[in-house]
Amino acid sequence: MEVISSSTKAPFEQAFLKNLLLILQDRSSSTPFHAMSLHDRKLAVKSSADIAMAAARGGGARWPKAILPPATTVANSCKAQRCRRIIVRSKRLCGGNYKRKSSMVVVRRRTMALRKVVPGGDAIDMDEASLLREAMDYVVHLQAQVDVLRRVSEVVQAQSTSDLRCMAMVVIRDPGFVASIMLCKAGEESMDQDFDWFFDRSVREL
Amino acid sequence: MSSRRSSRSSVSEEEINELISKLQSLLPSSRRRGSNQASTTKLLKETCSYIKSLHREVDDLSDRLSDLMAGMDHNSPGAEIIRSLLR
Repeated sequence: MEVISSSTKAPFEQAFLKNLLLILQDRSSSTPFHAMSLHDRKLAVKSSADIAMAAARGGGARWPKAILPPATTVANSCKAQRCRRIIVRSKRLCGGNYKRKSSMVVVRRRTMALRKVVPGGDAIDMDEASLLREAMDYVVHLQAQVDVLRRVSEVVQAQSTSDLRCMAMVVIRDPGFVASIMLCKAGEESMDQDFDWFFDRSVREL
Repeated sequence: MSSRRSSRSSVSEEEINELISKLQSLLPSSRRRGSNQASTTKLLKETCSYIKSLHREVDDLSDRLSDLMAGMDHNSPGAEIIRSLLR
């Protein structure tokens, strides 16, 4: 089993993060988060996370297609044209040759529970070998999704304490990740200024 | 004809066993037990419950994130940064 190195994990996490921010931004532009009901808000964040994960995985597996709505709906749900261009696809985390088809379609009782939890697992033409490959791929990307969501929560939580010291701690402990968030808006001048201002201020507060 | 069929099915069996051992290395229990021969049925059950627990974790984190985002203090400097990220 090849080791999932951070060099292969990082592109997916970057793409996932970028997609997540784009989708959340798009949703909050129609209704701000604080104006949504509790239920709608939780649903919005959860579905954004899943769509972001599936879009970042791209076409190398089947489970993303089971999560993403048909192409026309995705295009329509993102008002801005740029959403369609920018949904970033990354390299596969796992190696493995998806092009080689199993010669047998095998349906076994023991895989039925697994088919229910893996998106697209209950497709008619999903044979056992493909199901196992899909499950592995899905698990690896779920782990990455959990990882990114946890770190985003930490960053947002740090600022909610109105304590720049907390925020600075997050930056120092996980500089690469915070940099990723900043880089998602790279190229915008105001963002660079915000980062410098924020970093200077937080260092002074320490 | 029948020999061809049986050789095809034995290749599939090998492939499946290889996939199963790869899958086992992904599961958290593989680090604890250090066993290399969990039964296939147990492994599939464990994969199911692992995926479900990851789903629960994503749900909890999404809930936490949505609460944080709704309750962002509008006056803190950090909130302005986060808002500019989401604008």
